[in-house]
Amino acid sequence: MNAAKPAAPRLVDVQPSRASAPAELLRRDAVVSVTSLSKRYGEVFAVDDVTFSLEPGTVTGYLGPNGAGKTTTLRVLLGLAEPTAGEALVFGRRYRDVDQPIRKVGAVLESTDFHPSRNGRDHLRALALAAGLSLSRVEDVLDLVELRGAAKRRVRTYSLGMRQRLGLAAALLGDPELLILDEPANGLDPAGVRWLRTFLQTFAEQGRTVLVSSHLLAEVAQTVDRVLIIDHGRLLASGRLEELTGKGQTLEDVYLELTGGEPS
Amino acid sequence: MIGQLRSELLKQRSTETTLYLFLAMFGLVALAVTLHVLALGAGDLSTRTRQLEVFQVGSRAGMLFAGLAGAIAITAEIRYGTIRPTFLVTPRRGPVLAAKLAVSALAGIVFGLLAEGLMAADAAVAYAARGIENELSVGDYVQLLAGGAGASALWAVAGVGVGALVRNQVGALVGLCAWMFLVESTSESFVPDFGRLLPGGAGLALAGNTDELSAAVGTLLLVLYAAALAAAGWRATLRRDLA
Repeated sequence: MNAAKPAAPRLVDVQPSRASAPAELLRRDAVVSVTSLSKRYGEVFAVDDVTFSLEPGTVTGYLGPNGAGKTTTLRVLLGLAEPTAGEALVFGRRYRDVDQPIRKVGAVLESTDFHPSRNGRDHLRALALAAGLSLSRVEDVLDLVELRGAAKRRVRTYSLGMRQRLGLAAALLGDPELLILDEPANGLDPAGVRWLRTFLQTFAEQGRTVLVSSHLLAEVAQTVDRVLIIDHGRLLASGRLEELTGKGQTLEDVYLELTGGEPS
Repeated sequence: MIGQLRSELLKQRSTETTLYLFLAMFGLVALAVTLHVLALGAGDLSTRTRQLEVFQVGSRAGMLFAGLAGAIAITAEIRYGTIRPTFLVTPRRGPVLAAKLAVSALAGIVFGLLAEGLMAADAAVAYAARGIENELSVGDYVQLLAGGAGASALWAVAGVGVGALVRNQVGALVGLCAWMFLVESTSESFVPDFGRLLPGGAGLALAGNTDELSAAVGTLLLVLYAAALAAAGWRATLRRDLA
């Protein structure tokens, strides 16, 4: 996040087939389409002219250092913040124009978004009621994330891994087509990481779509089909994982080369 | 909208916050009324007007705690981050606020009834113990309960507005307490003509605790304050980015 550093656009675009398609067509087909999106806070462009789209049935990793603009992109995409310029659409519409959005899009932005003295089941029920969903969906997702046994406990007694799964359960309430997760693997133990990886891959095999931001490059390399790399608010690379790492480089090599490798 | 209301009711019921507020209010009202009634000379409590004035402390406590509950309804979501999933479910945000206003007003009625009821019961016991004649009529009690409940409901609506504007939970709660116990009571003591027109003073007129201002004017003023604060909070919530 540094306005004073324009940085030549080092965009490595390895989607030649998509790039030539008419923009209108792309936008209608894409599960997510972000077009020339910018978000400025004061003098700083947190997101600076970012364009990408996601196709159904893929798991896309959204990578970048702390403060690169990942979370800001997701916030704008989900209607929690207004874009300064450009647009971010899900299923061809702004999030707030989607009818009953949680039936289409599930999202977890922070793993800590719970009232500590509310129990897990009531957290989910409050959301299900507001969404007009059947309360039986609450029990379904509790089973899905294996939290049924802890559902009566207050969230303050949950481990970080359990909170991550409760957040995921909330995102799955509406049985969505698109899942957007911000750093979902933080705080998970190895069993939890494998569980999440299997879950996301199964989700995508059903023709659904995942956008997941992460720092954990080794984990990302095992989970995702496609990669977006962002730094200082600018998109530096987008494409299939094997194309980006085609020249015998690891994802870490590519990432550090693009982002300059300075620890932040 | 029914779903939104049920969701907000569940949020209120599923934490201990509301219970703690009720307990704190009970303690405060019981202590304050008991001290007032026991400390004042029998001559000071011999008229209906004076007895109603003693009850001001209970009415103020009902209004204040209703306002605190209203502010917490929104600031707790901001503090703990549940506002994010809440707005992901309802991205247009207006229905969330409408449900918070309705549920908080309902809770405000309960706060008002409990505060006035406890105060009246406490005073009745203390008067009986000291042999002081209770000068209040049935009509006075009806106005105390109904007016007190209405004033607390309006304070709850105003509290949601304050919470939505301030957003910081501690700031909103401290601000409301300071308003009631510093700004209002100071104004009442030093510039009574001004103090009685403030939200707390207007609420006292509504509950019949004062004959300095008519209940009708008090109601009108308090409705205007509550509507203005709720509207400002509404506007801020619909426009602001979420962190």
